[in-house]
Amino acid sequence: MMGDQFRKVEQYSPKSSPRGARSPVVSRQDSSGTLKTTILLGKNPSIVPSGPFYLLKEPPGESGITGATNLMAYYGLEHSYSKFSGKKLKEQLSSFLPTLPGVIDSPGQSDNSSLRSVIEKPPVGGKDLLPLSSAQLEGFRLHPGPLPEQYRYANATPIKKHKNKHKKHKHKEGGPPSTETPITDAGGDTHEKKHKKQKRHDEDKERKKRKKEKKRKKQKHSPEHSGGGLTPSQHSS
Amino acid sequence: MTSPLENLETQLEMFIENVRQIHIIVSDFQPQSQNVLNQKLQAMVHGLQEVDKLKSQVQDVHVPLEVFDYIDQGRNPQLYTKDCIEKALAKNEQVKGKIDAYRKFKANMLLELSRTFPTELSKYRALRGDE
Repeated sequence: MMGDQFRKVEQYSPKSSPRGARSPVVSRQDSSGTLKTTILLGKNPSIVPSGPFYLLKEPPGESGITGATNLMAYYGLEHSYSKFSGKKLKEQLSSFLPTLPGVIDSPGQSDNSSLRSVIEKPPVGGKDLLPLSSAQLEGFRLHPGPLPEQYRYANATPIKKHKNKHKKHKHKEGGPPSTETPITDAGGDTHEKKHKKQKRHDEDKERKKRKKEKKRKKQKHSPEHSGGGLTPSQHSS
Repeated sequence: MTSPLENLETQLEMFIENVRQIHIIVSDFQPQSQNVLNQKLQAMVHGLQEVDKLKSQVQDVHVPLEVFDYIDQGRNPQLYTKDCIEKALAKNEQVKGKIDAYRKFKANMLLELSRTFPTELSKYRALRGDE
């Protein structure tokens, strides 16, 4: 039986075909526009539609959300965005934690109070926190009197900003500036501002004068002019 | 009902206030304030116990490590949020620009191909269906 089958295959092989060694698949022209298919043999035989175009792959499936959409609006973060982008945030940590006492704007590494150090060297934990016994409290019996100077720094923070402002004013008035460039610049700015303010003030005065003159003229010419008191609107102006 | 974070915040504020009061008592210590100091020390232990109790309620809160760097440098941590939002927005705009550019390129490409290879492109469109 097997031998007969092989013989049959040999009979229909391209070698024995009347068209010679040419493959019948290659010679056929696809004029109908139907899809071509490639049949793969071997361990995993499969039929792949190859089509009239090479390298034609399935287009990628559309993902729900891409960078083409406004992600800020998609996740409802517009409020946060406008909150942070609109106003100018103050740089210091103390402006975020205004109620916190002590100097908190200095770098944490300088006094070993950094949060990094808590992560890198976690404190000893796992023990129960128990109230202090009377014997333990004896250890906290203190001597009367003020603290040594080096431990008093924590009280000085809240007034700091105010002091700085005063210092600037002092320099502007004519005192010798300790650091040259920034303070002189700041002084120049304030001087300019003052000058501008004065200018504005003068301009306002002039405008008011003109208005008053106009009013007087009008009142003189108008028939209603009887020398009575000012109306509320006139009061306001 | 207050949130666990608000509870923790309140507890920490109370703890800090207690420590501040201890600092005041200690900075110019008078013998008659020893009892008050002892009470404050016990209150401090109690405060630590309360904070420890709240630990389990905030396990799911994740804080980016970079925020700690901002705090350690004495900077406002809201600046980190601001920076993140600005970066995200800039990246969003960049990606949108790229996607738009590719869309335009695809439209132009199809237009030019349909001029040069009209039959092939009609077959292609038929194959794709949605083009």
